Amino acid sequence: MNIKKYLKDKLYVIITFSIIYFILILMFMAFKINIQVTLVSSILLFLFLVIILTTEYYKKKSFYTNLLNNIEALDKAYLVLETINKPNFYDGEILYQALYEINKSMNEFIKMLERQMADFKEYIEIWIHEVKIPISSLSLMAHNHKDKFDKKTSEQLKKIENYVEQVLYYVRSENAEKDYLINKVSLKKVINNVALKNKDDLLTNNITLKVENVNYEVFTDSKWLEYIINQIINNSIKYKRNINDSIIKIEAVEEKDKTTIMIEDNGIGIPSTDLPKIFEKTFTGYNGRIKTKSTGMGLNICKNLCEKLGHKIYAESKVDKYTKIYIVIAKNNFYLV
Amino acid sequence: MQKILIIEDEEIICNELSALLENSGYIPLILKNFKDAKTEILKLNPDLILLDINIPYMNGELLLRDLRKSSNIPVIMVTSKNSETDEVLSMSYGADDYITKPYNPNILLLRIFAVLKRTTTNSDVINYKDLVINMQKGIIKKDHKEIILTKNEMIIFNYLLNHQNKIVSRDELMTDLWNNNEYVNDNALTVNISRLRTKLKDIGYDDAIQTRKGIGYILL
Repeated sequence: MNIKKYLKDKLYVIITFSIIYFILILMFMAFKINIQVTLVSSILLFLFLVIILTTEYYKKKSFYTNLLNNIEALDKAYLVLETINKPNFYDGEILYQALYEINKSMNEFIKMLERQMADFKEYIEIWIHEVKIPISSLSLMAHNHKDKFDKKTSEQLKKIENYVEQVLYYVRSENAEKDYLINKVSLKKVINNVALKNKDDLLTNNITLKVENVNYEVFTDSKWLEYIINQIINNSIKYKRNINDSIIKIEAVEEKDKTTIMIEDNGIGIPSTDLPKIFEKTFTGYNGRIKTKSTGMGLNICKNLCEKLGHKIYAESKVDKYTKIYIVIAKNNFYLV
Repeated sequence: MQKILIIEDEEIICNELSALLENSGYIPLILKNFKDAKTEILKLNPDLILLDINIPYMNGELLLRDLRKSSNIPVIMVTSKNSETDEVLSMSYGADDYITKPYNPNILLLRIFAVLKRTTTNSDVINYKDLVINMQKGIIKKDHKEIILTKNEMIIFNYLLNHQNKIVSRDELMTDLWNNNEYVNDNALTVNISRLRTKLKDIGYDDAIQTRKGIGYILL
């Protein structure tokens, strides 16, 4: 609290006091009252004013300074009420009460939103499980009746499947709850699953998949890591260059405290101005605009999933040369259940 | 022929699955009575069960746990939930494998084959006519003559051998190769098959692998 501003605020008190004091002195003079009496009463009156103003100032100062400091210190400012004592002056009490009511209503609102979010998430998860049933039926039908379904049907089905999966992982990555399970996972197995998933796409696009040195075990959630690698491979396929020897190379390096997975392609690459932003939500960039319709969600979901799992993800790229995505998994069995 | 029991409440999936299994040379059975699933299963006595997690009356995981008390029939859990927790739980209840919907039919067949193989035979040595094949070492023996196959050739030969007298599509062979971490392309597959043919020819099996144009290959 600033003393100048406080005094300015109390200017009316000082002015009123001065006027009354001035009238009083005039009266004292009119009644010819002894100068000593005038002096003593003047001192007493001034003392009265100063005491009133300073006690009020310090009372308020201690409350408001505390309040402001705590707001500053908290990362969730709305929790400030829990950290301060109820003030012992009237307008402070009103403020405190008002804050309390505001807080309460906001908490109720947040609770309601949280409940809505949870319901929505639950619904999405159920919906996804349900929509997978007709997709499964269709893919079986496409396989059994090759005469009626051509290869394009399966390709489109695979796209639907990918988009559906993206929603699922988006919901999972955006939610605060912990719905993953960290386990000792064979990296080779995870990569094999991704490879099988993308086999047809890689073969029809004439892309060579090279997998080297992946016989390691890492601490992660296998489903999530599978999704992340799958997303990166999908991007590599989508943004391949029109050359004859397209390659996607997956390699891992194990060090004392971490395992790094590198996924490298020789596709169109990412302009250096776009590179720092590729993990941002709904960022599409130059490539997203020229090549295909891009939602700009894929890599953002990857990043969020990585953050939740405690992995690091980053990219290096050179236009028309390569894109390398690195995933760093710490070798810490601290997470193990 | 091996019997595979499908436990699944979606009729279309049931029908398509049984068509798929039939085409691949298994006898498909469909569980109709979910209320008394366990006794029904024991009565049918299949060689393998494809068990969906979401089934009426009981959930698949509970059924599996119950079943494991009295039977060791291999079980592959099929589910549309893809979370690690479900997988870990299923495996801890005694499932032999776990696959999520929507699955690739060829991969499903591979998994079924792998589980059946793991639970029935455990020898690495197979016979084909008068040949003795050692899968692990990648060696084919005829009398005292030995020929060595590369890993890819062995995977292809093994697959053909396991589906002897049945037509095998290129895609099935490709899926099997990829499943074994050999990420080859179309040309490589063609080359590997022709090399395998030459090697078989050297020991007197000239036309063992025949091409069925537009469909695939067959080992006679």
